[in-house]
Amino acid sequence: MNPKIERIIYAGIIVVLAGLLLSFGKKDLELRKQIPITVEELYEKLGNPKVNIQVIDVRPYELSEEEEEEAEDTDYYTGVHIPGSIPLPDCDESKAPEEALPQISPYIPTVIVSRDGDPEIFKKCAKKFPFAQNLKGGMLAWDEEGYPEDEGEYEPPAAGGGGGCL
Amino acid sequence: MSMTERILFWLGILILIVGLIGMKADISKLEQKLQQTVQASSEGGEE
Repeated sequence: MNPKIERIIYAGIIVVLAGLLLSFGKKDLELRKQIPITVEELYEKLGNPKVNIQVIDVRPYELSEEEEEEAEDTDYYTGVHIPGSIPLPDCDESKAPEEALPQISPYIPTVIVSRDGDPEIFKKCAKKFPFAQNLKGGMLAWDEEGYPEDEGEYEPPAAGGGGGCL
Repeated sequence: MSMTERILFWLGILILIVGLIGMKADISKLEQKLQQTVQASSEGGEE
C-alpha cells in the first residue's frame, strides 16, 4: 500500500478513537454531576491526602447578631463548617470573604455544600465548577453524622501545608 | 512506511482502545449508580 495512504488511514483511526474518548469523557463528567456525593464518601476523600478535592460552602458566611439568635449553627459558615471548606455564599464571588477568593479553583474536583443539599443552588454552582458534585443532605447531614467541624471565620491554609484537611 | 512508524501507530490505537473500554465501564457504573439514586429519591418522596 502507498505509505501516504497508510499513514492517512492510521491517523484517521486515531482521530476517530480520540473523538470517541472525548465524548465518553464528557458523558462521564455529566453523569458525575448528577450523582450527589454522600457525607461518608466526602469524609473518606478528605481524609486521604492523595485525593485533591475542594469543598465550596455556599451557605451565608455570617449572620447579624439578631439573626444568629434565631438561626441554627448549620445555617451559616461561621456557625459550623467542614474543615478546609471555602466560603462562597450563593456561589457569588462578591459575597465571599476576600482571603477566600484566591483559594478557589474552578478546575479541580469540587464538592458543593449547602444547608440541606439544595439542587437549585448546586445547578447555579455547577456552571462555574465543571467538576462539581453536590453534597447529599448538605451541612445538616454532615452535622448529623457527627463528622469533624470547625467554627468561626475562614482561615486560608498556611503556605507549604500538607494535603488532607481532616 | 517504516515498521517503527507502524508500531507507534498501533501502540497509539491500542492505548486509545484501552482508554475507551475503561471509560465505558466507568460510565456503566455511573449510570447504575444514578439509577439507584433516582430510585432511592423517588421512594423517599413517596413515603
